[in-house]
Amino acid sequence: MADRRRINGPPGSTIPPVFEDDAGQPEIMNGKGRDRAPNTIRKMFLKTGVTPSASGSAYLEFEDSGKSGVSGLKLSCTVHGPRSLPRSSPFSPHIVLSAHIKYAPFATKQRRGYLRDPSERDLGTHLETALRGAIIADRWPKSGVDIIISIIEGDQDRETSKSQGDETWDMMNALSGCITVASAALADAGIDCVDTVAGGVAALVQDAGEDSTPRIVVDPIPSDHEKVLGACCIAYLPTRDEVTNLWFKGDLPASDAGLYTQLVENGMQASRNANRVLVECLGEATS
Amino acid sequence: MATATSSTGAPPPSLTFARPVFAKLSPHPYLLRTLSPDSPDQQPTRNNGRSPQQSRPIQINTSSLSQAHGSSLVRTGDTTVICGVRGELLPVTSIPQFRPHNGTLYDQDEDDEQRARKELRDYDLLVPNIELATGCAPQFLPGVPPTTLAQTLSTRVYSLLHGAGVVDGRGLRIWYTPENKKEEGDMDVKEEQEEEQKPEVVAYWVLYIDLLFVSFDGNPFDAAWAAVLAALRDTKLPVARWDPDREMVVCRKGGDKGLDIRGLPVACSAAVFLEKEHAEVGKGEGNRHWVLLDPDRSEEGLCKEVITVVVDCSEEETRVRSIEKQGGTVLGRELIRGFIGVAEGRWREVKEATGI
Repeated sequence: MADRRRINGPPGSTIPPVFEDDAGQPEIMNGKGRDRAPNTIRKMFLKTGVTPSASGSAYLEFEDSGKSGVSGLKLSCTVHGPRSLPRSSPFSPHIVLSAHIKYAPFATKQRRGYLRDPSERDLGTHLETALRGAIIADRWPKSGVDIIISIIEGDQDRETSKSQGDETWDMMNALSGCITVASAALADAGIDCVDTVAGGVAALVQDAGEDSTPRIVVDPIPSDHEKVLGACCIAYLPTRDEVTNLWFKGDLPASDAGLYTQLVENGMQASRNANRVLVECLGEATS
Repeated sequence: MATATSSTGAPPPSLTFARPVFAKLSPHPYLLRTLSPDSPDQQPTRNNGRSPQQSRPIQINTSSLSQAHGSSLVRTGDTTVICGVRGELLPVTSIPQFRPHNGTLYDQDEDDEQRARKELRDYDLLVPNIELATGCAPQFLPGVPPTTLAQTLSTRVYSLLHGAGVVDGRGLRIWYTPENKKEEGDMDVKEEQEEEQKPEVVAYWVLYIDLLFVSFDGNPFDAAWAAVLAALRDTKLPVARWDPDREMVVCRKGGDKGLDIRGLPVACSAAVFLEKEHAEVGKGEGNRHWVLLDPDRSEEGLCKEVITVVVDCSEEETRVRSIEKQGGTVLGRELIRGFIGVAEGRWREVKEATGI
């Protein structure tokens, strides 16, 4: 059943353009590589107050890696509230968070529809968990706050072949950006938090070449590496030294427990770096 | 309303609110007071500091998105909109009721242009959609179906795209000239010889035009239309050809071609602010009015009558592409004619911002 409230276009299905030299891609891929140190994240730009009519808002952009066709992440976040809950909702002694993440139709390689798909809902749940640990929720009983994030441009390489399955890893980067930008928007809205929460990603990657061993990098770009073995996204409160959300995906050998701890440590390090940008941005906004 | 009109005389001494508080509490009398100053040497101003006929400066950036074929970001005051255009392919086999094209590749006449325009409409090759539910203003929250405003805006952009004939449909066709293979023809060979050499349309580009409001502060149509036009001008589609072996359209990297966009229609909106908020229809003589160009969110809430004029001055004489007016009876023939002059001024501003 087509969505009758939108303009749907031709009844027959349309196909995204197929390029004739798709098969020749992997050779070009090998020339690329990560040119940052393993423990540095990309430069980012953060600004609050992009939507004046909202209670709080922020815009985050990651630097693009300088390769053609690879975009940096661009996120816009608005916060509405705290405001009273509708009459129909049950009593809540705490603030009710609702996080909503939506990819813009033009954000990714494949055109996205206007209805939220399960992966976007999943991201929303993770974001909600990450923020719940930072907000002092019992200061606003019977009220709710809406956090809405539009992903204007996803962190994706247009050239990468689909077989790599990088969509799942991209979601990690997107979530870490979402956490940071939402935290800035919450601060802009003046909602009390115990600390500024920021997101960070660390991944265990395998580079191209026969003799390379897996290594841990922060803020990975999947197309830079041959394979991503595992990644974890951390939401971390630096002054309290607390992790509010941890999301791990991948395949790690169970024999090496140290590897997992190391991955989490690196994620926290990435989050600390992002947090510095966040604090500086908020300092600029208030001064 | 009686209090509002009587208070215009002497300045109320008991007013202890700060100006923004008063503006929020009773917006209509407040705007009325700023528009009708006591002394004649004061210029009438609006709450936002603009004069009634002053629009917000427009700022247009293009090509900032890498996943879309064309993109733009338009900012007028606090209204910010992002537009991305993405081309997808529609093979003629998946068009129900497809009528084979009887023109040729080299037709450049008027007829072919008309036919291309009809194709755009019949096969629905332009798909504009406007998303307001991004929290761009407190009344637009996600999780609900598109609001009436979002639906109206999408439809207005859609009809203006077709009505003004902005996109040349001939650039969206993908041609294929079959090679002559006489020996393989199992039907009447002589007849095929003549037909097969004729190029035929095998697919069309469909342009998905998606608009996302980042920030909403009134006058969404003007900003959205400027964004659509800037993004379409920025759009570069890859070179596509039909591959008879794979029976599909394949594109080549490099050598992307821009669309053929005709003219530069610019939308210009204004709202009519009435002295008496709930004046009866037909008794409007004593009711003063102000035409507020490029209204913001708070002004839109106070005005019922709005007018949108789309003009194009890129040719020698000004062409009016559309006039839409709703909600009142103040703007008559004379005022609309005068307003077209205002729209011409706006056209020059937008042209400068587009950078052409």
